[in-house]
Amino acid sequence: MVSLRVYIVRRVLLAIPTILILLTIVFLVMRVAGDPVAAILGAHAPQEEIERIREELGLNKPLYVQYFDYIWQLFHLNLGRSLIWGQRPVLVEILEHFPATLELSIFAFIVSIIIGIFTGAYSAQKYNKPVDHMFRIYGIITYSLFIPWFGLILQLIFGVYLGWLPTGGRIDPLMEPKHITGLYVLDSILTFNIPSLISSIKHLILPSITLGIYLSGIFTRLTRSNMLEVLRKDFITAARARGLPEGTVIYKHALKNAFIPILTMMGLQFALLLAGAVLTETTFSWPGMGTFLTERIFYRDYTTVQGTIVFFAILVVSVSLIVDLLYAYIDPRIRY
Amino acid sequence: MKALKFSKRAQTKLIAVLVVIIVVGVIAALAYWYMAPKPAPPKALIIGTTDKITVLDPAKAYDFYTWEVFNNIGEGLLKYKPGTTELEPGIAESYSISSDGLEYTFKLREGLKFTDGTPLNATAVKWSIDRVMRLKLDPSWLVTAFVDRVEVVDTYTVKFVLKRPISYFPSLVATVPYFPVSPNSYPADKTGEPTVGHYGPYKIKSWTRDVELVLEANPDYYGSKPKTDTVVIKFFKDAASMRLALETGEIDVAWRTLRPIDVIDLKEIGKWNVTEVPGPYIRYLVLRCNQPPFNDVRLRRAIAAAINRTRICEEVYKGTVEPLYSMIPKGMWSHIDAFKDEYGERNLTLAKQLLTEAGYSEENPFEFELWYTPTHYGDLEADLAAILKEELEETGMMKVTLKSAEWATYAAEYIIEGVMPIFLLGWYPDYIDPDDYTTVFLHSEYSPEMGVFYNNSEMDELLEAAQVETNITKRTELYIEVQRLMAEEAPVIPLFQGKLSIATSMDVKGVVLDPVMILRYYLIYKE
Repeated sequence: MVSLRVYIVRRVLLAIPTILILLTIVFLVMRVAGDPVAAILGAHAPQEEIERIREELGLNKPLYVQYFDYIWQLFHLNLGRSLIWGQRPVLVEILEHFPATLELSIFAFIVSIIIGIFTGAYSAQKYNKPVDHMFRIYGIITYSLFIPWFGLILQLIFGVYLGWLPTGGRIDPLMEPKHITGLYVLDSILTFNIPSLISSIKHLILPSITLGIYLSGIFTRLTRSNMLEVLRKDFITAARARGLPEGTVIYKHALKNAFIPILTMMGLQFALLLAGAVLTETTFSWPGMGTFLTERIFYRDYTTVQGTIVFFAILVVSVSLIVDLLYAYIDPRIRY
Repeated sequence: MKALKFSKRAQTKLIAVLVVIIVVGVIAALAYWYMAPKPAPPKALIIGTTDKITVLDPAKAYDFYTWEVFNNIGEGLLKYKPGTTELEPGIAESYSISSDGLEYTFKLREGLKFTDGTPLNATAVKWSIDRVMRLKLDPSWLVTAFVDRVEVVDTYTVKFVLKRPISYFPSLVATVPYFPVSPNSYPADKTGEPTVGHYGPYKIKSWTRDVELVLEANPDYYGSKPKTDTVVIKFFKDAASMRLALETGEIDVAWRTLRPIDVIDLKEIGKWNVTEVPGPYIRYLVLRCNQPPFNDVRLRRAIAAAINRTRICEEVYKGTVEPLYSMIPKGMWSHIDAFKDEYGERNLTLAKQLLTEAGYSEENPFEFELWYTPTHYGDLEADLAAILKEELEETGMMKVTLKSAEWATYAAEYIIEGVMPIFLLGWYPDYIDPDDYTTVFLHSEYSPEMGVFYNNSEMDELLEAAQVETNITKRTELYIEVQRLMAEEAPVIPLFQGKLSIATSMDVKGVVLDPVMILRYYLIYKE
C-alpha cells in the first residue's frame, strides 16, 4: 500500500509516455497520409510556392528532425498555424471551437446521467419484472443507436412536425451573447441576456438529448448491475428490516453505495462523449470541435487536423488521469 | 446566545423548500421574459447553403460559391445586369478599346473607398491585378493568360494591355480575380482573408467559417441601397439539414444545393416558392487521351455512343437536370446538339461495332476503371457512377470497375497526374462565353490541366481563331465547328446540364436567377 502522494506522482509519470506514444502515432499517421502541400495549394500552384510552403511547414527536413521539432513545439504549446483562414494559430482556433463542444458535452452528460441512473435504479428496484426487461433492452438499444439517424428523427418530430425546437446551429442569428467563456448559456446568464439564454437553451435541447440518450444506456446497465449487487448486501436487508420505506432504501442507501463505480465510468465515458459529440455536432450543424475537425479534413488543413487530434488526445489522457486520481482519493483500496 | 438548531429531517425539508422556491423562481422569470414583449429583432434575411467559402481572397478563390459572396461584397470594373448576360458599368463608369484590340482603358467612378477606408482608385486596381498575377494561384490564369500588364493612366484611369486581342475581355473583367481589394487589408505576397478591404453593396459584419456570415449594407456603395440591410448566410453540412431548417422557418431561403428529391417534395407540399431555371452548370466525362486505352478514338466514341443521358436525368436526378449533347450548354449562343447529331440519343450497335473494331468482344471485354468523387458533387454521385457503369456494360463488351477518391486528392493530384483513365467532372463557368466551355478542355495547352491531355492542331486553330474573332456570326460558326469536331473525337463527353433551384418562404421576394448563377442578396427582401 503506497501513500496517495506517491500514487499521484506515479500516475502522472505514467501519463507522460502515454501522451508521447499518442503524439508519435499522430505524427506518423499524418505523415503517411501523403504530401498535403500540393493538395492545399491546388492544381495550378507553381513549384516554388509548393517548395516555400514545404519549407515553412518543415516538411523538407528529415523525418526525425521533423519529429523532434514537432515535440519541441508542442512543449511550448505551439500547435502551428492553420494553412487556411489567414494562417491563424491552431491553438487559438481550437480554443474558439472548444467551448461549443464543452457546452454540448456538459448538457449531454447531465442528460445521460439523469436518465441512466434513474432508469438503472428503477430497473433494479423492479428486478425481473417487465419494466426491468424494458430498461435492459433500452440500455442495449441506446448504446447501439446511430446518432445521425436518431438526431434526424428528433429533428423531424420536434423541429418539423411540432415546430417547438430549432434543428441546427447553436443560437439564432444575430443573438450571440458577448463572449466571456464561450459557453453561450453561461455567457447569456453572466450578461443578463435573456433572449440569448432562451435561444441557446432551445438550440441545446435536441443535440443534448440525442447525445445524452446515446450515452445513457451504459449508465442504465451499470447502475442496474451495481444496484442489484448492493441490494443483496446485509445493510440493505437491515434497513428494510427496520421498516424504512422502499424508496428510501433504494434511492438513499443503495444508490449512494452503488455510485462509486458509476463515477469511474463517467470518467471513462469522456472519450466516448467526445466521439459522440463529433457525430452529434455534424447532425445538428453544431459549430464545435467535431464539425471543425471534419471541415478541416475536407480542406486538407494539415496542421489544424494534427493540432486538433493532439488536443483531443491530451484532453482524454488528462481527464482519465484526473478521474484516476479522484477515484484513488475517494477509494483508498485502489492505491496498489 | 443559543444557536438555532434544526433536526436532520428539518434541514432536509428546508433545503427541499429552498430548491423548489429557486426552481419555480427561475422558471417564472424565464417564462416572464419569454412572454414579455421584446424589441423586434433586426429584420435579417437568412439564406441557407451547403456550399462553403473556400478562401476569402480573389487571388485564390476559384469556386462558384465564394465568387457569389464576392459578387455581393465586391464588384468588378464591369458587372452583369441582373437577369441577363449583358454587361453594365460597375466600379468603372466607362471603358474604351484601342483600334488593335490590345488595350482596354477603364475610367473609374470617383470618390469610392474600400470598407477599410482606403481609396479605391487606379493604383488599387493595378495593385490587385498585379497581386493576382504574381501569386499564380488557381484563378490567376484568368488574368495571366490574357493580360500582359496593367498601367495607371491617372488617379481614376487604368489601362489593361493584353497579350493578344480577346473579344470577350469585358466578360473576363467581370470575374472575381479582377475585383479590386484594398492594399491595406490584403497581404501583397500571400493569400489573406480579411473581412474588410472590399467594395460592394454589402460589407462583412462577422464571419465564422462554415457556420455563419453576416453581411450588412455598405453605406458607401455608389449604387442603390440593398433591399435588405442585414443578410445572414448559414452554412449547412448537408442538404437534409438545410431542408429541415427551411421547413422549421430557421432560414428564409434554401439556396445551393437542395437534393432533387427535396425540390420535388417542397414543390408538392406547396408552402414555399420553388424556382428552377436552366443553369450553365454542366457535368461530363473526361477521357485521358494521351495514354492507352483512351488514346484510341474508337474506344472514346464507343463510350459516347453507349451512354443514355435521358435515363440518367430521370432515374438519378428525377428530372431536375437536362440531357446535354455539347460542352456548350443549351441557351448559350452557338450551342448545337453535337453528340446527338453524331451518335443519336444512344447507339448501342455503333458502340459494339467500335469495340469490335478495337479488338474487343463479349468474351474479351474492354476492361477499365471509371472514377468519381463522393465528396464534391452531392449525395447522388455514386448513383450516377453506378448507372454509367450499368449503361456501358449493357454493350456486353465492356467491364467497368468503379473507383472513387475524395475531392482534394481527386482534383489536385489524380487529375493532374493522369491517374484516372476516365472520370466524372463538373464545370461552372468562369465567364459567360463559349470559350470558357471549350478552350480549357480542348486546347492542347490547357487540356492537361483538366486531365484530358487532348492534342489536335485543327482544334487548337479553331479555338484560337474564335478567341480573337470579334464578329459574332463568324465566332458562332467557329464554335459550331469546334463542337462537331469534339463530338467526332470525344475527348470529353457531356452528360447533362443542371438546373438552378431555390426554395424560399412565401414572403421572400426579389430573387433573380439567371445564367450568371450569382444570387444577388441585395435584390432580395422580405415582405
